[in-house]
Amino acid sequence: MSLFDKFQKNAVLYNALSEAGRNPFTVQMDEILGPTRAIVKGKEIVLAGTNNYLGLTFREEVVSAAQAAVAEQGAGTTGSRFANGTYASHKALERALAAFLGFSRCIVFSTGYQANLGAISALAAPGKDVIFIDADCHACIYDGCQLSGAETVRFRHNSPEDLDRRLSRLDGDEKYAGMGKLVCIEGMYSMFGDVAPAKEFLDVARRHGAYLFVDEAHSFGVYGESGRGVVEAQGVIDEIDFYSGTFSKSLVSIGGFVASNHPELDYLRFSARPYMFTASPSPANVAAATAALQCIAAEPDLRKRVWANARRVHEAFTQLGLETCAPPGPVIAVKLPDRETAFAAWSFLIDKGVYVNLAIPPGTPNAASILRLSVSAAHTNDDLDIVIDAYGAMAETFAQARVTA
Amino acid sequence: MADIQEDDDLVFHKICALLEPLNHKGVKLTRDTDLVADLEIDSVSVLDIVMDIEDNYDLSIPVNTISETRTIGELVDAIHALKKQQA
Repeated sequence: MSLFDKFQKNAVLYNALSEAGRNPFTVQMDEILGPTRAIVKGKEIVLAGTNNYLGLTFREEVVSAAQAAVAEQGAGTTGSRFANGTYASHKALERALAAFLGFSRCIVFSTGYQANLGAISALAAPGKDVIFIDADCHACIYDGCQLSGAETVRFRHNSPEDLDRRLSRLDGDEKYAGMGKLVCIEGMYSMFGDVAPAKEFLDVARRHGAYLFVDEAHSFGVYGESGRGVVEAQGVIDEIDFYSGTFSKSLVSIGGFVASNHPELDYLRFSARPYMFTASPSPANVAAATAALQCIAAEPDLRKRVWANARRVHEAFTQLGLETCAPPGPVIAVKLPDRETAFAAWSFLIDKGVYVNLAIPPGTPNAASILRLSVSAAHTNDDLDIVIDAYGAMAETFAQARVTA
Repeated sequence: MADIQEDDDLVFHKICALLEPLNHKGVKLTRDTDLVADLEIDSVSVLDIVMDIEDNYDLSIPVNTISETRTIGELVDAIHALKKQQA
Protein backbone atom coordinates (compact mmCIF):
# COMPACT_ATOMS: atom_id res chain seq x y z
CA MET A 1 0.00 0.00 0.00
CA SER A 2 1.55 3.28 -1.11
CA LEU A 3 1.24 6.48 0.87
CA PHE A 4 0.15 8.13 -2.33
CA ASP A 5 -2.72 5.81 -3.36
CA LYS A 6 -5.31 7.95 -1.62
CA PHE A 7 -4.51 10.94 -3.83
CA GLN A 8 -5.19 9.06 -7.07
CA LYS A 9 -8.82 10.02 -7.59
CA ASN A 10 -8.25 13.75 -7.25
CA ALA A 11 -4.90 13.51 -9.04
CA VAL A 12 -6.69 12.23 -12.15
CA LEU A 13 -8.98 15.28 -12.09
CA TYR A 14 -6.13 17.68 -11.39
CA ASN A 15 -3.96 16.26 -14.17
CA ALA A 16 -6.86 16.32 -16.61
CA LEU A 17 -7.24 20.05 -16.00
CA SER A 18 -3.53 20.61 -16.56
CA GLU A 19 -3.58 18.61 -19.79
CA ALA A 20 -6.53 20.65 -21.03
CA GLY A 21 -4.06 23.53 -21.18
CA ARG A 22 -5.11 25.62 -18.23
CA ASN A 23 -5.44 24.54 -14.65
CA PRO A 24 -7.61 26.97 -12.66
CA PHE A 25 -5.84 25.84 -9.50
CA THR A 26 -2.33 26.70 -10.70
CA VAL A 27 -2.85 30.12 -12.27
CA GLN A 28 0.25 32.24 -11.77
CA MET A 29 0.02 36.02 -11.79
CA ASP A 30 3.35 37.11 -13.28
CA GLU A 31 2.94 40.82 -12.72
CA ILE A 32 0.42 42.68 -10.58
CA LEU A 33 -0.49 45.93 -12.30
CA GLY A 34 -2.96 47.20 -9.72
CA PRO A 35 -5.89 46.07 -7.58
CA THR A 36 -7.87 44.86 -10.61
CA ARG A 37 -5.27 44.01 -13.27
CA ALA A 38 -2.47 41.47 -13.66
CA ILE A 39 -0.36 39.86 -16.35
CA VAL A 40 -0.91 36.12 -16.81
CA LYS A 41 1.10 34.31 -19.49
CA GLY A 42 2.03 37.59 -21.11
CA LYS A 43 -1.55 38.87 -21.31
CA GLU A 44 -3.27 41.57 -19.28
CA ILE A 45 -6.34 40.28 -17.47
CA VAL A 46 -9.04 41.81 -15.29
CA LEU A 47 -8.95 40.35 -11.77
CA ALA A 48 -12.51 39.45 -10.81
CA GLY A 49 -11.73 36.47 -8.60
CA THR A 50 -9.84 37.95 -5.67
CA ASN A 51 -11.19 38.97 -2.26
CA ASN A 52 -10.01 42.55 -2.67
CA TYR A 53 -13.55 43.83 -2.04
CA LEU A 54 -12.59 47.41 -1.16
CA GLY A 55 -9.65 47.49 -3.58
CA LEU A 56 -7.11 48.83 -1.06
CA THR A 57 -4.11 46.64 -1.99
CA PHE A 58 -2.26 49.52 -3.68
CA ARG A 59 -3.57 52.43 -1.60
CA GLU A 60 -0.78 54.87 -0.84
CA GLU A 61 -1.55 55.01 2.91
CA VAL A 62 -1.55 51.23 3.17
CA VAL A 63 1.61 50.61 1.14
CA SER A 64 3.61 53.36 2.84
CA ALA A 65 2.52 52.18 6.32
CA ALA A 66 3.80 48.68 5.49
CA GLN A 67 7.06 50.09 4.12
CA ALA A 68 7.63 52.22 7.22
CA ALA A 69 6.92 49.25 9.50
CA VAL A 70 9.54 47.11 7.75
CA ALA A 71 12.09 49.92 8.10
CA GLU A 72 11.30 50.57 11.76
CA GLN A 73 10.45 47.10 13.13
CA GLY A 74 12.17 44.73 10.72
CA ALA A 75 10.98 42.13 8.22
CA GLY A 76 9.60 39.56 10.65
CA THR A 77 9.01 39.07 14.38
CA THR A 78 10.69 35.63 14.61
CA GLY A 79 8.47 34.89 17.60
CA SER A 80 4.96 33.83 18.60
CA ARG A 81 2.22 36.01 20.07
CA PHE A 82 2.43 33.95 23.28
CA ALA A 83 6.17 33.92 23.83
CA ASN A 84 8.42 36.37 22.07
CA GLY A 85 6.62 37.97 19.13
CA THR A 86 4.06 40.45 20.49
CA TYR A 87 4.92 44.02 19.50
CA ALA A 88 3.21 47.26 20.45
CA SER A 89 1.77 47.29 16.91
CA HIS A 90 -0.06 43.98 17.48
CA LYS A 91 -1.66 45.34 20.64
CA ALA A 92 -2.54 48.66 18.96
CA LEU A 93 -4.28 46.81 16.13
CA GLU A 94 -6.22 44.70 18.64
CA ARG A 95 -7.43 47.89 20.34
CA ALA A 96 -8.28 49.54 17.00
CA LEU A 97 -10.32 46.53 15.84
CA ALA A 98 -12.15 46.25 19.17
CA ALA A 99 -12.98 49.98 19.08
CA PHE A 100 -14.13 49.86 15.45
CA LEU A 101 -16.37 46.85 16.08
CA GLY A 102 -17.59 47.97 19.51
CA PHE A 103 -16.26 44.97 21.45
CA SER A 104 -14.32 45.21 24.69
CA ARG A 105 -11.47 43.03 23.48
CA CYS A 106 -9.84 41.46 20.44
CA ILE A 107 -7.06 38.97 19.74
CA VAL A 108 -4.91 39.11 16.60
CA PHE A 109 -3.83 35.80 15.03
CA SER A 110 -1.38 35.14 12.19
CA THR A 111 -4.02 34.18 9.61
CA GLY A 112 -7.80 34.17 9.36
CA TYR A 113 -7.65 30.38 9.16
CA GLN A 114 -5.80 30.27 12.47
CA ALA A 115 -8.20 32.74 14.13
CA ASN A 116 -11.11 30.32 13.64
CA LEU A 117 -8.96 27.23 14.19
CA GLY A 118 -7.54 28.67 17.42
CA ALA A 119 -10.72 30.14 18.85
CA ILE A 120 -13.02 27.20 18.17
CA SER A 121 -10.52 24.54 19.21
CA ALA A 122 -9.86 26.36 22.50
CA LEU A 123 -13.47 27.30 23.28
CA ALA A 124 -14.88 23.78 23.00
CA ALA A 125 -13.53 20.73 24.80
CA PRO A 126 -14.33 17.02 24.31
CA GLY A 127 -16.91 15.70 26.74
CA LYS A 128 -17.62 19.21 28.05
CA ASP A 129 -19.05 21.08 25.08
CA VAL A 130 -20.93 20.49 21.81
CA ILE A 131 -20.38 22.55 18.65
CA PHE A 132 -23.14 23.20 16.12
CA ILE A 133 -21.94 24.34 12.70
CA ASP A 134 -23.73 25.49 9.57
CA ALA A 135 -23.24 22.79 6.92
CA ASP A 136 -21.64 25.35 4.54
CA CYS A 137 -19.09 26.68 7.02
CA HIS A 138 -15.52 27.21 5.79
CA ALA A 139 -12.92 24.46 6.17
CA CYS A 140 -11.18 26.34 9.01
CA ILE A 141 -14.33 26.06 11.13
CA TYR A 142 -14.54 22.32 10.43
CA ASP A 143 -10.85 22.00 11.25
CA GLY A 144 -11.32 23.98 14.47
CA CYS A 145 -14.04 21.54 15.51
CA GLN A 146 -11.82 18.59 14.73
CA LEU A 147 -8.87 20.06 16.63
CA SER A 148 -11.12 20.75 19.63
CA GLY A 149 -12.15 17.09 19.81
CA ALA A 150 -15.64 18.19 20.91
CA GLU A 151 -18.74 16.52 19.47
CA THR A 152 -19.81 18.46 16.40
CA VAL A 153 -23.31 18.57 14.93
CA ARG A 154 -23.98 20.00 11.46
CA PHE A 155 -27.22 21.86 10.79
CA ARG A 156 -28.76 22.69 7.43
CA HIS A 157 -27.37 25.77 5.76
CA ASN A 158 -28.92 29.07 6.83
CA SER A 159 -31.79 27.30 8.62
CA PRO A 160 -32.42 28.54 12.19
CA GLU A 161 -35.36 26.09 12.34
CA ASP A 162 -33.03 23.19 11.66
CA LEU A 163 -30.55 24.40 14.29
CA ASP A 164 -33.46 24.65 16.72
CA ARG A 165 -34.43 21.04 15.96
CA ARG A 166 -30.88 19.75 16.43
CA LEU A 167 -30.38 21.68 19.67
CA SER A 168 -33.73 20.37 20.91
CA ARG A 169 -32.64 16.77 20.28
CA LEU A 170 -29.87 17.18 22.83
CA ASP A 171 -31.91 19.21 25.31
CA GLY A 172 -33.69 16.12 26.62
CA ASP A 173 -30.60 13.90 26.60
CA GLU A 174 -28.98 13.29 29.97
CA LYS A 175 -25.58 12.81 28.37
CA TYR A 176 -25.54 16.45 27.31
CA ALA A 177 -26.96 17.95 30.51
CA GLY A 178 -24.83 20.89 31.66
CA MET A 179 -22.60 20.87 28.59
CA GLY A 180 -21.56 24.13 26.89
CA LYS A 181 -22.97 24.79 23.42
CA LEU A 182 -21.26 26.79 20.70
CA VAL A 183 -23.06 27.69 17.45
CA CYS A 184 -20.87 28.71 14.47
CA ILE A 185 -22.12 30.57 11.41
CA GLU A 186 -20.64 32.93 8.84
CA GLY A 187 -21.88 36.40 7.89
CA MET A 188 -21.57 36.07 4.12
CA TYR A 189 -20.63 32.68 2.69
CA SER A 190 -17.69 32.90 0.31
CA MET A 191 -18.77 30.49 -2.43
CA PHE A 192 -22.37 31.55 -3.21
CA GLY A 193 -22.26 34.99 -1.56
CA ASP A 194 -25.41 34.32 0.43
CA VAL A 195 -25.95 35.86 3.84
CA ALA A 196 -26.92 34.26 7.18
CA PRO A 197 -30.10 35.21 9.05
CA ALA A 198 -27.92 36.09 12.04
CA LYS A 199 -30.72 37.58 14.14
CA GLU A 200 -32.82 34.42 13.88
CA PHE A 201 -29.78 32.27 14.69
CA LEU A 202 -29.11 34.44 17.74
CA ASP A 203 -32.71 33.95 18.94
CA VAL A 204 -32.42 30.16 18.61
CA ALA A 205 -29.00 30.08 20.28
CA ARG A 206 -30.24 32.15 23.23
CA ARG A 207 -33.34 30.00 23.64
CA HIS A 208 -31.10 26.97 24.11
CA GLY A 209 -28.45 28.69 26.21
CA ALA A 210 -25.86 28.46 23.43
CA TYR A 211 -23.08 30.91 22.51
CA LEU A 212 -23.03 32.37 18.98
CA PHE A 213 -19.78 32.64 16.99
CA VAL A 214 -19.97 34.58 13.71
CA ASP A 215 -17.20 34.52 11.09
CA GLU A 216 -17.37 37.77 9.10
CA ALA A 217 -14.24 37.07 7.01
CA HIS A 218 -15.91 38.03 3.74
CA SER A 219 -18.47 40.53 5.03
CA PHE A 220 -16.24 42.71 7.23
CA GLY A 221 -15.84 46.14 5.62
CA VAL A 222 -18.58 45.49 3.08
CA TYR A 223 -21.85 44.87 4.96
CA GLY A 224 -23.45 47.13 7.56
CA GLU A 225 -23.83 50.88 7.84
CA SER A 226 -20.23 51.32 9.00
CA GLY A 227 -18.74 48.16 7.49
CA ARG A 228 -18.95 46.04 10.62
CA GLY A 229 -20.47 43.13 8.77
CA VAL A 230 -23.72 41.21 8.45
CA VAL A 231 -24.32 41.30 12.21
CA GLU A 232 -24.23 45.10 12.08
CA ALA A 233 -26.59 45.14 9.09
CA GLN A 234 -29.02 42.94 11.06
CA GLY A 235 -28.65 44.93 14.27
CA VAL A 236 -27.21 42.15 16.46
CA ILE A 237 -23.50 42.96 16.62
CA ASP A 238 -23.80 43.96 20.29
CA GLU A 239 -25.44 40.68 21.23
CA ILE A 240 -23.32 37.99 19.60
CA ASP A 241 -20.64 36.27 21.69
CA PHE A 242 -17.71 36.00 19.28
CA TYR A 243 -16.89 37.87 16.07
CA SER A 244 -14.06 36.57 13.88
CA GLY A 245 -12.49 38.09 10.81
CA THR A 246 -9.49 38.09 8.54
CA PHE A 247 -6.99 40.66 7.30
CA SER A 248 -6.79 39.02 3.89
CA LYS A 249 -9.96 40.35 2.29
CA SER A 250 -11.07 43.96 2.83
CA LEU A 251 -8.04 44.62 5.08
CA VAL A 252 -5.70 43.59 2.21
CA SER A 253 -3.01 42.01 4.38
CA ILE A 254 -2.66 38.62 6.06
CA GLY A 255 -3.72 37.75 9.59
CA GLY A 256 -6.97 37.29 11.50
CA PHE A 257 -8.78 38.21 14.67
CA VAL A 258 -11.47 37.26 17.15
CA ALA A 259 -13.36 39.93 19.13
CA SER A 260 -15.78 39.58 22.03
CA ASN A 261 -17.29 41.28 25.06
CA HIS A 262 -16.56 38.24 27.22
CA PRO A 263 -13.55 39.13 29.42
CA GLU A 264 -12.63 35.43 29.27
CA LEU A 265 -11.66 35.82 25.60
CA ASP A 266 -8.15 36.60 26.86
CA TYR A 267 -7.88 33.00 28.13
CA LEU A 268 -7.38 32.01 24.49
CA ARG A 269 -3.96 33.62 24.68
CA PHE A 270 -2.72 30.70 26.79
CA SER A 271 -5.06 28.02 25.39
CA ALA A 272 -5.33 28.39 21.61
CA ARG A 273 -2.50 26.40 20.10
CA PRO A 274 -2.72 28.08 16.65
CA TYR A 275 -2.08 31.38 18.52
CA MET A 276 0.67 30.10 20.78
CA PHE A 277 2.76 27.93 18.51
CA THR A 278 3.23 29.97 15.35
CA ALA A 279 5.00 33.21 14.49
CA SER A 280 3.06 36.44 14.97
CA PRO A 281 2.06 38.50 11.92
CA SER A 282 4.95 40.49 10.48
CA PRO A 283 5.20 44.25 11.19
CA ALA A 284 4.38 45.03 7.54
CA ASN A 285 1.23 42.86 7.68
CA VAL A 286 0.08 44.51 10.90
CA ALA A 287 0.78 48.02 9.61
CA ALA A 288 -1.06 47.38 6.32
CA ALA A 289 -4.12 46.01 8.14
CA THR A 290 -4.09 48.94 10.57
CA ALA A 291 -3.90 51.47 7.72
CA ALA A 292 -6.63 49.68 5.74
CA LEU A 293 -8.86 49.68 8.83
CA GLN A 294 -8.44 53.47 9.05
CA CYS A 295 -9.47 53.80 5.38
CA ILE A 296 -12.55 51.64 5.97
CA ALA A 297 -13.59 53.67 9.00
CA ALA A 298 -13.03 57.02 7.27
CA GLU A 299 -14.39 56.29 3.78
CA PRO A 300 -17.98 55.05 3.50
CA ASP A 301 -17.57 55.74 -0.23
CA LEU A 302 -15.58 52.50 -0.58
CA ARG A 303 -18.69 50.55 0.42
CA LYS A 304 -20.92 52.59 -1.86
CA ARG A 305 -18.63 51.81 -4.80
CA VAL A 306 -18.39 48.06 -4.20
CA TRP A 307 -22.18 47.85 -3.84
CA ALA A 308 -22.84 49.93 -6.98
CA ASN A 309 -20.44 47.66 -8.89
CA ALA A 310 -22.07 44.54 -7.44
CA ARG A 311 -25.54 45.67 -8.46
CA ARG A 312 -24.38 46.53 -11.97
CA VAL A 313 -22.76 43.11 -12.55
CA HIS A 314 -25.61 41.17 -10.95
CA GLU A 315 -28.22 42.94 -13.07
CA ALA A 316 -26.19 42.37 -16.25
CA PHE A 317 -25.82 38.65 -15.49
CA THR A 318 -29.54 38.31 -14.81
CA GLN A 319 -30.27 39.96 -18.16
CA LEU A 320 -27.90 37.51 -19.86
CA GLY A 321 -30.06 34.69 -18.48
CA LEU A 322 -27.36 33.37 -16.14
CA GLU A 323 -28.32 31.71 -12.87
CA THR A 324 -26.82 33.58 -9.93
CA CYS A 325 -26.64 31.92 -6.52
CA ALA A 326 -27.67 34.87 -4.31
CA PRO A 327 -29.03 38.43 -4.42
CA PRO A 328 -26.54 41.20 -5.40
CA GLY A 329 -23.44 41.30 -3.20
CA PRO A 330 -19.65 41.37 -3.49
CA VAL A 331 -19.56 37.68 -4.47
CA ILE A 332 -21.54 36.83 -7.58
CA ALA A 333 -21.52 33.12 -8.32
CA VAL A 334 -22.98 31.76 -11.55
CA LYS A 335 -24.21 28.17 -11.48
CA LEU A 336 -23.37 25.91 -14.41
CA PRO A 337 -24.93 22.54 -15.15
CA ASP A 338 -21.84 20.40 -14.58
CA ARG A 339 -18.12 20.35 -13.89
CA GLU A 340 -17.13 20.08 -17.57
CA THR A 341 -19.20 23.08 -18.68
CA ALA A 342 -17.92 25.09 -15.72
CA PHE A 343 -14.31 24.33 -16.61
CA ALA A 344 -14.86 25.13 -20.30
CA ALA A 345 -16.59 28.40 -19.36
CA TRP A 346 -13.77 29.29 -16.95
CA SER A 347 -11.18 28.71 -19.71
CA PHE A 348 -13.29 30.74 -22.14
CA LEU A 349 -13.37 33.68 -19.71
CA ILE A 350 -9.64 33.71 -19.05
CA ASP A 351 -9.04 33.65 -22.79
CA LYS A 352 -11.26 36.74 -22.95
CA GLY A 353 -9.05 38.38 -20.32
CA VAL A 354 -11.22 37.83 -17.24
CA TYR A 355 -10.02 35.93 -14.19
CA VAL A 356 -12.70 34.44 -11.91
CA ASN A 357 -12.68 31.36 -9.67
CA LEU A 358 -13.78 27.90 -10.75
CA ALA A 359 -15.35 26.05 -7.83
CA ILE A 360 -16.41 22.43 -8.15
CA PRO A 361 -17.53 19.64 -5.80
CA PRO A 362 -16.56 18.71 -3.11
CA GLY A 363 -15.41 22.30 -2.53
CA THR A 364 -18.91 23.65 -3.08
CA PRO A 365 -22.27 23.17 -1.36
CA ASN A 366 -24.96 21.00 -2.98
CA ALA A 367 -22.43 19.52 -5.43
CA ALA A 368 -22.72 22.71 -7.52
CA SER A 369 -20.24 23.72 -10.22
CA ILE A 370 -19.87 27.48 -10.19
CA LEU A 371 -17.91 30.41 -11.53
CA ARG A 372 -17.29 32.65 -8.53
CA LEU A 373 -16.77 36.30 -9.35
CA SER A 374 -15.87 38.90 -6.75
CA VAL A 375 -16.49 42.58 -7.22
CA SER A 376 -14.13 45.29 -5.98
CA ALA A 377 -14.65 48.95 -5.17
CA ALA A 378 -11.56 49.44 -7.33
CA HIS A 379 -13.16 47.97 -10.47
CA THR A 380 -13.53 50.76 -13.02
CA ASN A 381 -16.37 50.96 -15.49
CA ASP A 382 -13.89 49.74 -18.12
CA ASP A 383 -13.03 46.71 -15.99
CA LEU A 384 -16.70 45.85 -15.58
CA ASP A 385 -17.42 46.38 -19.30
CA ILE A 386 -14.77 43.77 -20.07
CA VAL A 387 -16.21 41.37 -17.46
CA ILE A 388 -19.81 41.76 -18.63
CA ASP A 389 -18.88 41.47 -22.33
CA ALA A 390 -16.90 38.30 -21.61
CA TYR A 391 -19.80 36.75 -19.69
CA GLY A 392 -22.13 37.76 -22.56
CA ALA A 393 -19.93 35.93 -25.06
CA MET A 394 -19.71 32.99 -22.66
CA ALA A 395 -23.51 32.82 -22.39
CA GLU A 396 -23.72 32.82 -26.22
CA THR A 397 -21.14 30.06 -26.58
CA PHE A 398 -22.46 27.85 -23.78
CA ALA A 399 -26.22 27.91 -24.26
CA GLN A 400 -26.57 25.42 -21.41
CA ALA A 401 -25.28 28.12 -19.03
CA ARG A 402 -28.47 30.12 -19.51
CA VAL A 403 -31.60 29.37 -17.51
CA THR A 404 -33.67 32.02 -19.25
CA ALA A 405 -33.47 33.23 -22.85
CA MET B 1 -33.40 -11.69 18.64
CA ALA B 2 -35.88 -11.62 15.80
CA ASP B 3 -36.75 -8.04 16.67
CA ILE B 4 -33.16 -6.88 16.54
CA GLN B 5 -32.66 -8.65 13.23
CA GLU B 6 -35.71 -6.94 11.75
CA ASP B 7 -34.72 -3.55 13.10
CA ASP B 8 -31.27 -4.06 11.60
CA ASP B 9 -32.79 -4.76 8.19
CA LEU B 10 -34.99 -1.68 8.41
CA VAL B 11 -32.06 0.62 9.17
CA PHE B 12 -30.03 -1.05 6.42
CA HIS B 13 -32.82 -0.59 3.87
CA LYS B 14 -33.41 2.99 4.91
CA ILE B 15 -29.73 3.84 4.42
CA CYS B 16 -29.70 2.08 1.05
CA ALA B 17 -32.73 4.11 -0.02
CA LEU B 18 -30.93 7.33 0.93
CA LEU B 19 -27.76 6.25 -0.89
CA GLU B 20 -29.44 5.02 -4.07
CA PRO B 21 -29.66 8.48 -5.75
CA LEU B 22 -25.86 8.77 -5.37
CA ASN B 23 -25.15 5.22 -6.56
CA HIS B 24 -24.25 6.35 -10.07
CA LYS B 25 -22.34 3.17 -10.95
CA GLY B 26 -25.22 0.91 -9.93
CA VAL B 27 -23.15 -0.95 -7.32
CA LYS B 28 -25.04 -3.66 -5.39
CA LEU B 29 -25.37 -2.28 -1.88
CA THR B 30 -24.35 -4.60 0.96
CA ARG B 31 -23.16 -4.14 4.52
CA ASP B 32 -19.60 -4.24 3.16
CA THR B 33 -20.08 -1.49 0.58
CA ASP B 34 -17.54 1.29 1.22
CA LEU B 35 -19.15 4.72 0.82
CA VAL B 36 -16.06 6.45 -0.51
CA ALA B 37 -14.14 3.65 -2.25
CA ASP B 38 -17.07 1.75 -3.81
CA LEU B 39 -19.70 4.46 -4.28
CA GLU B 40 -17.24 7.32 -4.83
CA ILE B 41 -19.33 9.61 -2.66
CA ASP B 42 -17.36 12.67 -1.56
CA SER B 43 -16.88 13.53 2.10
CA VAL B 44 -19.39 16.40 2.06
CA SER B 45 -22.10 14.21 0.52
CA VAL B 46 -21.52 11.59 3.21
CA LEU B 47 -22.15 14.27 5.84
CA ASP B 48 -25.31 15.35 4.00
CA ILE B 49 -26.62 11.77 4.01
CA VAL B 50 -25.90 11.54 7.73
CA MET B 51 -28.08 14.65 8.22
CA ASP B 52 -30.94 12.92 6.42
CA ILE B 53 -30.45 9.85 8.62
CA GLU B 54 -30.49 12.04 11.74
CA ASP B 55 -33.81 13.54 10.70
CA ASN B 56 -35.26 10.20 9.68
CA TYR B 57 -34.57 8.69 13.11
CA ASP B 58 -34.81 11.96 15.10
CA LEU B 59 -31.33 11.16 16.30
CA SER B 60 -28.16 13.17 16.81
CA ILE B 61 -25.14 11.72 15.00
CA PRO B 62 -22.13 13.94 15.79
CA VAL B 63 -19.66 14.33 12.90
CA ASN B 64 -16.89 12.81 15.06
CA THR B 65 -18.73 9.53 15.68
CA ILE B 66 -18.98 8.78 11.98
CA SER B 67 -15.57 9.99 10.87
CA GLU B 68 -14.27 6.43 11.32
CA THR B 69 -17.26 4.93 9.52
CA ARG B 70 -16.40 3.58 6.08
CA THR B 71 -19.00 0.96 5.18
CA ILE B 72 -22.79 0.79 5.17
CA GLY B 73 -22.63 -1.91 7.86
CA GLU B 74 -20.56 0.32 10.14
CA LEU B 75 -23.08 3.12 9.63
CA VAL B 76 -25.96 0.77 10.52
CA ASP B 77 -24.14 -0.32 13.68
CA ALA B 78 -23.37 3.29 14.65
CA ILE B 79 -27.04 4.23 14.30
CA HIS B 80 -28.09 1.29 16.49
CA ALA B 81 -25.60 2.30 19.16
CA LEU B 82 -26.79 5.91 19.12
CA LYS B 83 -30.48 4.90 19.12
CA LYS B 84 -29.86 2.80 22.20
CA GLN B 85 -27.91 5.58 23.88
CA GLN B 86 -30.38 8.35 23.06
CA ALA B 87 -33.50 6.25 23.72
